[in-house]
Amino acid sequence: MIDAVNVVKRFDGFAALNHFNMHVPDGSVYGLIGPNGAGKSTIIRHVTGIYRPDSGEVSIDGRPVYENNDIKKRIGYIADEVFYFPQATTADMARFYQGIYPRFDSVRFEKLKTAFEISADHPIRKLSRGQQKQSAFWTVLAMHPEILILDEPVDGLDPVMRRQIWSLLLDEVAAEGTTILVSSHNLRELEDVCDHVGIIQNGSMMLERDLTELQDQIVKIQVVLPEGADIPTDLPLVHMSSSGNLKELIFRCDRETALDRFKMLSPTYMEAVPLSLEEIFIHELGGAGYGVENILL
Amino acid sequence: MIPITLNSRDPRPIYLQVKESLRQLIISGVLTPESKLPSVREIAGTLAINPNTIQRAYRELEAEGFIYSIPGKGSFVSPNREISQEELHRRWEDLDHAVRELKFLGVSEEELIRHLKDEGGETP
Repeated sequence: MIDAVNVVKRFDGFAALNHFNMHVPDGSVYGLIGPNGAGKSTIIRHVTGIYRPDSGEVSIDGRPVYENNDIKKRIGYIADEVFYFPQATTADMARFYQGIYPRFDSVRFEKLKTAFEISADHPIRKLSRGQQKQSAFWTVLAMHPEILILDEPVDGLDPVMRRQIWSLLLDEVAAEGTTILVSSHNLRELEDVCDHVGIIQNGSMMLERDLTELQDQIVKIQVVLPEGADIPTDLPLVHMSSSGNLKELIFRCDRETALDRFKMLSPTYMEAVPLSLEEIFIHELGGAGYGVENILL
Repeated sequence: MIPITLNSRDPRPIYLQVKESLRQLIISGVLTPESKLPSVREIAGTLAINPNTIQRAYRELEAEGFIYSIPGKGSFVSPNREISQEELHRRWEDLDHAVRELKFLGVSEEELIRHLKDEGGETP
């Protein structure tokens, strides 16, 4: 369990994190989504124990992360910029990690060779940006981390490698119950892989949700009601629009409840339509601010 | 590998797409009774989707009687399943929907009945 409670972090007076809260349950794949400059990388550097909060607390399993090697041993981290020693090859970095991370598995490192397009004996600095990311994934996956923290991980990777890496990551989640915290500026990129989502803007968490719950608790009904029938007022209406006779209504309740209620009005036409995640978030955020829509579309 | 189809343009939640794909494969007989379904891990790895999502699809298919699971062994297609009232009701609704459309398109009642009698054997 990763917890950030009321975290404030200022750089030269600018509050990069402003009473930020986040809760990542064990075994979840948590997507942290926000526009550029929202504070994603700042909170990630707190969770990995690189930054110390000015106030508030960042902890894993109830223990503060900063300067805590016992906790940091359990974390695999892929930063937005890949770190490596100047002349190092992927094999060199693997040897280095082996000395630091107790769960490093050299057999697995060998096995992973087939999953990547790069050679372990090639200097990392000579690789392209996307290939350097592959090198980082290779060593981190061989560590069997309990917690994986990924800052914009698939940036610079081609679609085939992107999918390949997510396959490896999700296989690890299914097999070992790994917790993943992953950031992105785009919701669509993460919607297949995440089960929890947090939206960050201007250094604060705007909302965090369990995705399956979210999708169960909102429904769009398209309906044509007979002359004189009114829309029921006992359902929590979120949004309404109409074109001609057809009304499109969004309610915050489950599908069956809404359909059963409308059946009582004997509608001429009725259909429940699923909402895409983007639509759900737009309604959840209620037009909370300019910039948010960019990350959803 | 079992052909589960996911469509990124489909607004339905992923768990529902997985569930419907498997249900179709069972109904159409591609997955025969007692055959073993792929593990959650296999699907998560191949399709690159969240394992919790797949687990949910499996849980619901089990609750509806399509599959059963043996701890430590995996999930299997149920041999002769009890049809739930809810499931039956949903299928009737699908039929009503199709009938309305056909009527609108000018198909007569006699044609419909004739078609139903030989269960889609010959489509005019």
